[in-house]
Amino acid sequence: MSQKTRMAPKPDPQSLSATAADSSAQVSIDPFFHILKFVPYSFLRPPRLRLKLPSFSLPSAMTVFSLILLTYFMVVSGFIYDVIVEPPGIGSTQDPATGAVRPVVFLSGRVNGQYIIEGLSSGFMFVLGGIGIVLLDLALDKNRARSIKVSYSIAGISSIVIAYVMTTLFIRIKIPGYLR
Amino acid sequence: MAAVANMPVSDLLKSFKLKTKQQELLIRVSILCLVYILAFITRLFSVLRYESMIHEFDPYFNYRTTLYLTQNGFYDFWNWFDYESWYPLGRIVGGTLYPGLMVTAALIYRILHFLRFAVHIREVCVLTAPFFASNTTLVAYFFGKEIWDTGAGLVAAILIAVCPGYISRSVAGSYDNEGVAIFALLFTFYLFVKAVNTGSLAWSLASAFGYFYMVSAWGGYVFIINLIPLYVLVLLITGRYSMRLYVAYNCMYVLGMLLAMQIRFVGFQHVQSGEHMAAMGVFFLMQVFYFLDWVKHMLSDTKLFQAFLRITVTCAVAVGTIALGLGMLSGYISPWTGRFYSLLDPTYAKDHIPIIASVSEHQPTAWSSFMFDFHILLFLFPAGLYFCFKRLSDATIFIVMYGLTSMYFAGVMVRLILVATPAVCLISAIAVSATVKNLTVLLRSKNKGVQTGSTKGSSSSKASSKALLDQSQPFQKNGAIALLFGAFYLLSKYATHCTWVTSEAYSSPSIVLAARGAHGSRVIFDDYREAYFWLRQNTPPDAKVMSWWDYGYQITAMGNRTVIVDNNTWNNTHIATVGRAMSSYEDEAIEIMRSLDVDYVLVVFGGVTGYSSDDINKFLWMVRIGGGVFPVIKEPDYLVNGEYRVDKGAAPKMLNCLMYKLCYYRFGEMLTEYGKPPGYDRARGVEIGNKDIKLEHLEEAFTTSNWIVRIYKVKPPNNRW
Repeated sequence: MSQKTRMAPKPDPQSLSATAADSSAQVSIDPFFHILKFVPYSFLRPPRLRLKLPSFSLPSAMTVFSLILLTYFMVVSGFIYDVIVEPPGIGSTQDPATGAVRPVVFLSGRVNGQYIIEGLSSGFMFVLGGIGIVLLDLALDKNRARSIKVSYSIAGISSIVIAYVMTTLFIRIKIPGYLR
Repeated sequence: MAAVANMPVSDLLKSFKLKTKQQELLIRVSILCLVYILAFITRLFSVLRYESMIHEFDPYFNYRTTLYLTQNGFYDFWNWFDYESWYPLGRIVGGTLYPGLMVTAALIYRILHFLRFAVHIREVCVLTAPFFASNTTLVAYFFGKEIWDTGAGLVAAILIAVCPGYISRSVAGSYDNEGVAIFALLFTFYLFVKAVNTGSLAWSLASAFGYFYMVSAWGGYVFIINLIPLYVLVLLITGRYSMRLYVAYNCMYVLGMLLAMQIRFVGFQHVQSGEHMAAMGVFFLMQVFYFLDWVKHMLSDTKLFQAFLRITVTCAVAVGTIALGLGMLSGYISPWTGRFYSLLDPTYAKDHIPIIASVSEHQPTAWSSFMFDFHILLFLFPAGLYFCFKRLSDATIFIVMYGLTSMYFAGVMVRLILVATPAVCLISAIAVSATVKNLTVLLRSKNKGVQTGSTKGSSSSKASSKALLDQSQPFQKNGAIALLFGAFYLLSKYATHCTWVTSEAYSSPSIVLAARGAHGSRVIFDDYREAYFWLRQNTPPDAKVMSWWDYGYQITAMGNRTVIVDNNTWNNTHIATVGRAMSSYEDEAIEIMRSLDVDYVLVVFGGVTGYSSDDINKFLWMVRIGGGVFPVIKEPDYLVNGEYRVDKGAAPKMLNCLMYKLCYYRFGEMLTEYGKPPGYDRARGVEIGNKDIKLEHLEEAFTTSNWIVRIYKVKPPNNRW
């Protein structure tokens, strides 16, 4: 029998084999099937193909979580700000004495402004802190070898500490009057 | 009696000793009470520093309408036509505002008066937002309890009480829709999640009424009516369809939609506007799901059911698409409006709608704004997402979706960080609660390990592993204590940061400016209110004032005079006319002003004080908006080599336009800074180009003490002889 290559909107992995068996076992009630049986396929002979409808299963929770982490990194590093306002990658200032051009990493003067590089590095620090807490939770899982638990906990604690210290440092550089 | 008195003190105390459950309840209730009080008092900085007054621009309109409501009653308020703004067009106030905030404040005012507390309506308006912020912490507690457990609920309440992202729009004096709307948003979401979890009709109806309150409070209700259908769709895709979901969504959608149509400003948008079509589509999809479930229940043959399933779903999707297409083509279903479309396509506003692009709150968000408003929560958010994904349920799926969508929108527009704040606080609370729970379990596991070791203790491997465990126990315990101290340190840093940000950045009333004087003393500039009071006292009652739209609400509320354009910005052409008048030469501008019956012109100038949000800095937006409607105004005429200047090298059109003349009239003789020539503009940092300004059709009426607000009177036309 001719194979249906029309995709059903609802994912139904068993449907293909079911319809093949269905149409051979009893008369199909599908109107499209009857129309197609009559109009092109009464005189056209379809070739024998080994096609399979791609079976589509939902990804696992942790796959989705890693994709979400990537999106979070982009949002929090000000990606949309970069696309719309188009700031330079890194700022520059001219040294008044020597006339040489020095790079400036942090856009100073306002809270809602950034250069691209400073946004990306801050976003990375935030994600690092988040991953540190996740590693700490993994370290407390009972079903692992002790050495892995210890290394996870050390990695987790150092990630959190580094991320927090760097982020505080960044915000102190950016906003000169911070916490004063 | 004597026997009781003779009991020793320790016995007396023992009789008062509570059981553990009662102790836990006492701790929880006292924490919630403290958090309630904290949320209120942390928002009172500006009331303590200045006085109890309304801040910013939009709250003045809300205050004026609330005053009208309390004086004239609800019927007159609902049918009010305001002829004092947008002269000569007027504004139908009843049909173009969201009444939730005003009705709430008027209700609180009436209750207080009923209890014989004779407070002024202004005090009620100023303190409405902190009161609702405290209520939001309670809702956050219950929501956290629903999603995770009571520990997470308590942490969520604490985090949201001080989070700067929420404080920025709910400070005492910020009498704006968002103060009430965030409470309504979180409340509606809590009721809906409770309805989905329990499947009860009562909770679903309550969520419909919560949605009605949200629709009456803020235009951001569109977020709810799109997030909830998206959530239902995700549940359907992940195979979590259930009768509870069916009951909850159907009740909420139908009743919520009917209630929302009671607000005149919303009208029939729920069936006509493209932004609300997702909810309708999901509603019909739910009916299809229910039908298929019923058919599956009736049919015993699975193969027949599979075929039937494919036909039905294809037909349903086809019919839906055709209906949507017909609706959009015939124009019955309107497309997404500019404001919400620019959230999906952020580059749209920059190219097409300059008014939306000019508001500073609508700019996209940089990393420092996120850090400023969230601090530690930015680390806890991804960790909280991880915990949610570990323990997926209907409720955690909801909070994850709310968090992700609101964070994306917060990235597009700075103002929407406010909508993301409750989600971020809740998810971070889950992370904190789960981590602290893990650590305390580690702390408490010491005794159990020793006991099981002693009772079992059979094979050698077991004994050795137990010995190893005993060896590492004190190390683990110390490590857990150290980590708990670390967590406590981070959270205290969060509290310090939040209080500092509230005090320094978010407690300024904007209508009163403050600066540090030469020796660190605080100097207050109260020029705005000085100018509005002068207008109120020294101009005829039917005088019309032309100014840029930013100041319209304040002039009507405090100056009590008719304005040409105000912050509602509903008529772009009218604003463009004012923009054209400000950017033309004086002779052309006087024609426009005479056609609009203008008596006074008000400009804001920051050259003497260094105030940078004045009209000269906003001038290019006036040119762009005016040029968008009247092509005779061209932006390059005012720039020199693409640069905007006001000194000698500025464009001649810039040096002679009305705005320049009105701002810098008589400024050329003014000495502003020691060591600089007269006419030095402190806000731009240059000496102005055109110092000798003569005005032909206007005369100076009033300039405030620091030259911030300047008012000019339009001279009547000359007599012919």
